[in-house]
Amino acid sequence: MKINYKKIVCLSFALGVLVGCDDFLDVDSREKITEEDSGENLEPIAFVNGIYGMMTEWDYAFSYLGITEIISDNADKGSSPGDPGGDKGLLDGLTFTATAGSVEAMWTNWYKAIGRATYSIGYTENYELTDEAYKNRLIGEAKFLRAYHYFFLVRAFGDVPLQHVDLTVRVPKEQVYDFIEQDLLDAIQVLPEKSQYASADLGRATKGAAQALLAKVYLYQKDWQNAYDYADDVITSGQYGLEPDYAQIWRVNTENGVESIFEVQARGESIAHGVQQYSETQGARGPSGWGWGFNTPSQNLLDAYNAEGDVIRRDATIIFRGETMYDGRVVSTAVENPMYNEKAYSSANAGAGDGDKNIRVLRLAEIYLIRAEAANELGNSSVALSSLKEVRDRVNLGEITTTDQTLLRNLIWKERRLELAFEHDRWFDLVRTGQAAQAMQANGKPFEVGKHELFPIPNGQLIQTPGLGQNPNW
Amino acid sequence: MKNFIFGVFVLLFFHGHLYAQDIKGKVLDENGLPLPGVNILSSTSSSVSDFDGNFSINAKVDEPITFTFLGYVTLTINAAENMSVTMKMSSTDLTEVVVVGYGTQKRTDLTSAISTIKSDQITKQPAFNALQSLQGKAAGVNIIANDAPGATPTIIIRGLGTAESGRSPMFVVDGVITGSIANLNPNDIESFDVMKDAASAAIYGSNAANGVVFITTKKGKLGKTSIKINSFYGAKSILNPVEMANSSQFVTYFNESRAAIGNPDRLALNQPYNTDWYDALAGTSFSQGNDVSFSGGSENVTYYFSFNNYKEDGLLEGHEVARNVLRSNNTFKAFDGKLKITQNASVAFTKSTPKPYSSFTEAYKQAPIIPVYYPDGRYGMSYWNKTTGLPDYIIGAGQQGGRLNSIGNPVANVNFQNEKNKMMELQGLLQADYTVTDWLTATTRFGATKSYSKTRIYNDIRGRYLAADPLRTLTDFQNAQNGAPTSTEFANNSLSYKDVESFRYNWDTYLTASKSFDKHNFNATVGVTKERRNDVYESFIEGYGVPEQENYWNLDMASLNYTKVVKQFFQTPTNVLSYFGRLQYNFDEKYYISGTIRRDGNSNFKKNAEYWGTFPSVSVGWVLTNESFLSEVNNLDFLKLRAGYGEVGNANVPFNATSIITNPGSANTNYVFGPNQDLVFGGAVGSPATNLTWEVTKEINAGVDFELLDRRLSGSFDYYNRINTNAILNVKPILNSPASQNYFDHGGEVRNQGYEIALNWKDNITEDFSYSIGVNYAHNKNTLENVKPAYDGMTGGSLGDGQITKRLQEGQPIYSWWLLEADGVWQTQAEIDANPHIGTPQPGQLRYKDQNGDGVIDDRDKKFYGSYIPKFSYGINVNLAYKNFDLSVDGFGAGGNKVYNGLKGTRVDAGENIAAETFNNRWTGPGTSNTNPGANRDALSSSYYLEDGDYFRINNITLGYTFKDMFNISRLRIYGTAQNPFLFTKYSGFTPELNNSGAPNETAGIELAAYPNIKTFIFGVNLEF
Repeated sequence: MKINYKKIVCLSFALGVLVGCDDFLDVDSREKITEEDSGENLEPIAFVNGIYGMMTEWDYAFSYLGITEIISDNADKGSSPGDPGGDKGLLDGLTFTATAGSVEAMWTNWYKAIGRATYSIGYTENYELTDEAYKNRLIGEAKFLRAYHYFFLVRAFGDVPLQHVDLTVRVPKEQVYDFIEQDLLDAIQVLPEKSQYASADLGRATKGAAQALLAKVYLYQKDWQNAYDYADDVITSGQYGLEPDYAQIWRVNTENGVESIFEVQARGESIAHGVQQYSETQGARGPSGWGWGFNTPSQNLLDAYNAEGDVIRRDATIIFRGETMYDGRVVSTAVENPMYNEKAYSSANAGAGDGDKNIRVLRLAEIYLIRAEAANELGNSSVALSSLKEVRDRVNLGEITTTDQTLLRNLIWKERRLELAFEHDRWFDLVRTGQAAQAMQANGKPFEVGKHELFPIPNGQLIQTPGLGQNPNW
Repeated sequence: MKNFIFGVFVLLFFHGHLYAQDIKGKVLDENGLPLPGVNILSSTSSSVSDFDGNFSINAKVDEPITFTFLGYVTLTINAAENMSVTMKMSSTDLTEVVVVGYGTQKRTDLTSAISTIKSDQITKQPAFNALQSLQGKAAGVNIIANDAPGATPTIIIRGLGTAESGRSPMFVVDGVITGSIANLNPNDIESFDVMKDAASAAIYGSNAANGVVFITTKKGKLGKTSIKINSFYGAKSILNPVEMANSSQFVTYFNESRAAIGNPDRLALNQPYNTDWYDALAGTSFSQGNDVSFSGGSENVTYYFSFNNYKEDGLLEGHEVARNVLRSNNTFKAFDGKLKITQNASVAFTKSTPKPYSSFTEAYKQAPIIPVYYPDGRYGMSYWNKTTGLPDYIIGAGQQGGRLNSIGNPVANVNFQNEKNKMMELQGLLQADYTVTDWLTATTRFGATKSYSKTRIYNDIRGRYLAADPLRTLTDFQNAQNGAPTSTEFANNSLSYKDVESFRYNWDTYLTASKSFDKHNFNATVGVTKERRNDVYESFIEGYGVPEQENYWNLDMASLNYTKVVKQFFQTPTNVLSYFGRLQYNFDEKYYISGTIRRDGNSNFKKNAEYWGTFPSVSVGWVLTNESFLSEVNNLDFLKLRAGYGEVGNANVPFNATSIITNPGSANTNYVFGPNQDLVFGGAVGSPATNLTWEVTKEINAGVDFELLDRRLSGSFDYYNRINTNAILNVKPILNSPASQNYFDHGGEVRNQGYEIALNWKDNITEDFSYSIGVNYAHNKNTLENVKPAYDGMTGGSLGDGQITKRLQEGQPIYSWWLLEADGVWQTQAEIDANPHIGTPQPGQLRYKDQNGDGVIDDRDKKFYGSYIPKFSYGINVNLAYKNFDLSVDGFGAGGNKVYNGLKGTRVDAGENIAAETFNNRWTGPGTSNTNPGANRDALSSSYYLEDGDYFRINNITLGYTFKDMFNISRLRIYGTAQNPFLFTKYSGFTPELNNSGAPNETAGIELAAYPNIKTFIFGVNLEF
């Protein structure tokens, strides 16, 4: 049979038409906004807001309590005896291991926040904003927050990786501190003072906040002169003052008030958004209660307040079983625990998942105490005593007059404990000042010198990056 | 039979004439039906039988003439006037034609591993989804059943190679590539051809990594109209339910657990109620189906038309599924048979009212002391009076009340669920085959599937509010509603509508050439395919406060107090362009070699530099029995060796783009600023975009096919070794990296290697009695090799309470069990104090082994326990036919794996129920048990809950009787079937077939939900006219 060439040519042509071009394979995404397209939709400030947002994560309502307060001598686990609260019981008893969930949760949270900060700095720089001051301010905010989070990491874990350099290699803590200081110094250059911000931006990182944080950073490094200088800058800036009534400091009416240098913001009205469940985890447990009852003040802390005769701060910090609170709420005698954390109490929102409780991170009273301590270490006892007096006068406590450096040092440390109880400072402070071993052993907790000064690198991290290595004796 | 004897008599008594003449006769098949299209050959001429089987051929009387017809034994008979010839169907499967992707091939010529299952095996037992009938029929093809009505079973071929998307094989229905065959009427299926190895599937390239299932639907045959009617009616009930503790057992257990932790709560020993929640939930439910088909054809036209109606009740009250499918398959020939047009179209309408299957889990967990209804008619809830120890919700003065558990009332949840779903799916194809020359054919085919689905859910919020607490009144609800008029928490009800539309098509065009010179036979195919899939549109609207009457259920009637929720979503479609070619050569039907190549371009990967993939394959075969040295061996009818290598891909991978997270509500991307604490929105990067490409699987396959002993024993043996060279894993980001969301990346290699054996024996003991026994067995070993170091050690198998059970590790099966070893039970406090322990355990709790001897029990003491993936599976199929009776028994089993009974680890201190076995075997004091813990148990995941997953199911016993030639009906068969009547397993939970979502890093292999197995008894009728 003759091969019909004409037919074959026709068919090939038809086939050729049917064969698509590569254009057929160009399909635009209809679902997620890709990074290329996001530039049209998100401005740099959105990414900066996202960094702040990390501070409202659930981790800060539970895991954070475990590793800053419950583990210390200020607080106990709380809740009912049979409720382990995850690893809170282990943290309280110093029997936790590298697999402790709270440790892993905070390690992860801090690094994600640092990731957001680094990303937003890069994004802001490349975005082509025309207002130079505004652009620098956004970068300054990001650097402040990045330094803030690295400060947690270096205090908790010692040598840690610098995320933007190499995730898998730990750098010595001195280097991390240098990086923190650099970020804060840069931020101080470009951030406005608290009063210079537009009203709607109240709550953003300020120059004062950066200086205050830097003072604290220098304190931890025992760089007394710098700590003194920066604390002094904040106090003399004219931007801040002490609240007259200590009991008001953690209430809604003094949010972002005159004493407040930096706070984690929260709102309780719909659409509510606060530090997720912060008031609920620490709320009274049982009949008339509004929460789970964790992070309860310890007998040790109560004794310390009573020994000092510090009634004002004691009653402002502790909710007693059977008490009628300042807003009229009656706490029944049937609640599970004898004492609860009053600084976590939200009058309007009680145990709601998102309440209006702002967490005070830095306030002027602490800066006074930093100046006092730094001055004392530098031998300047008059400034040390006057700074201490400011804080004690506010709560009607007598004046301290001793100029003996060792005695004064211990008195300042004691003042820090009573003033800043339940403000997430106690554990790091105990370790910094070398009091941790004695304080824990006095409470019957098995503190091991050379081990418990640092938290263990989370086991989950070591499974992923074994090369990091573990902290000594963990 | 009678005709044959008559024919012999005719030959004997009528002298053959010595000159050629027109011999007339009739050809019939074994059932006495006329056989058209039979080729008749005499020494001088040839002919074909017509419509009625009549033929006329020029031949001399007594001259031998040959009758041949595909699928029938060739017959040579001496010619005689008005001869009547009966042809028998060929008992060998080797002449059958197998689909090989863009073409067909004779089984004898096959050089790769393709299993074929024919329609009689599929329609033996009625099923909603045809895949269910495949269980146990093909070696290496694992069907994991899903007993929910209307649900699709999972099919895994030759082990789990893909971890993420694209685990299922590719389905092709007559050439139309489709995602699922849920809307295919099983009675319309002619055969399944499962392409198991890469050599056969490679021609489908990047779709075929997990095998290809090719389904051929029925077509009309030349002949008079055949009408078939099938009808059945079935009843189903729960198979092997787990016995739960009764009230007194529960009370004892609860009291023990409370005493152990020093809690004063106690339940009273005399309880008024003893509820068996499974009885309350499920009873007997029914299913029925009717199917009618017309088919037939002439020389130029064939037609097939069918209608199928299938209705099934779920075990839960109110759960109904109904499906109607219409199908029309026609072929037309024109231009002297040179042009053939095929048109297949089917439309399926499905209606269902799903009920929450989670109610079975609630029925497991809810305490037996709680009544289904309180005396006043309200739903029983788990409140109890702590002072009296009884399930009362009225708490008197001075008394204390409490809640036993946080489980709802399963009967209430079933009754409140008001969901209706309607779906329509259109599927069809249009194909043109043109015979250009006698050796060249051109084909073009366009096939598409379009589906529409609409779901309506009505939620009686007020009703649920009142049922949740028996003390609540309507006034309470109205007060709450007035107090928060815009809060949807107190709306009277909610109504939502979800519409989903999807479309997919593929357009194939190819040329087939087939030529033979001497003993050289060539066959070549070359073509191009365009495909579009994942074109999905979804819209969802929800409103609140609609009137209670159903006729007013539209969102315009919703209350204006509440904001409506509106969501709309378009999925990014995927376009695929492919070129393919195949060349087959055989010499004298003895030596075979075949090669295919496929090149796929996929739009999902366009952002990579490389988005084209090439998938080659080559396979060889040697038919030993056609060799001279073996052709005289007795009893060896057929022996073939074959081997092949192929590369296939999985392009159905998740779409990974750098995602920017934003959120309109309370989320960690948003914050609050300003003196009024205003909510301010932000964004963050979720995870980086890793460049994903298709997964490539490489496989070698070697096999033997044989037929022995007069074709009574047939079988095959296959060995395979396949490796997924770049398996995509769901990666948890490194903890100290900026990424916060899981993302997908190529993380490792997954190897599956094993062998398959299939044996089939069929014989006739007497003329009336024939039987066949088929056995298949498959063994598979799954190993994860070469994992990227950053991903090695990822954990998975979360139980939802913080415990994990699986871990990804190089050298182990993918996501194998990783658990603490349960090493006995603590008998005394002294024992605990003297040994390493985790947390603060008490006597009666499980003791765990300190593997590394460091005195501490933690993650470092966990060890690997194998996988949930079965190591072997087997099937047995027995068929007996005696006179007009037929009996078949099918069984299927799998094993060599371990499954995790997550239900046993229920939080009993949360007042949930336990299995009776757990109660009977528990520790009650020192020395009573060293294997089972007491009533106070911890919540850690450990090997205590891991059990052997071996099982054997009898999945079908059918007995039928056929009446032939009654009235006008040529065949009437009545039958009774028991489906899944028996399940033999040592596993203590509900079912060892635990696939869940199928994702290995999730809950596959873990029983967390208490879905029962179902057995069904069916009575049915098959009619043929």
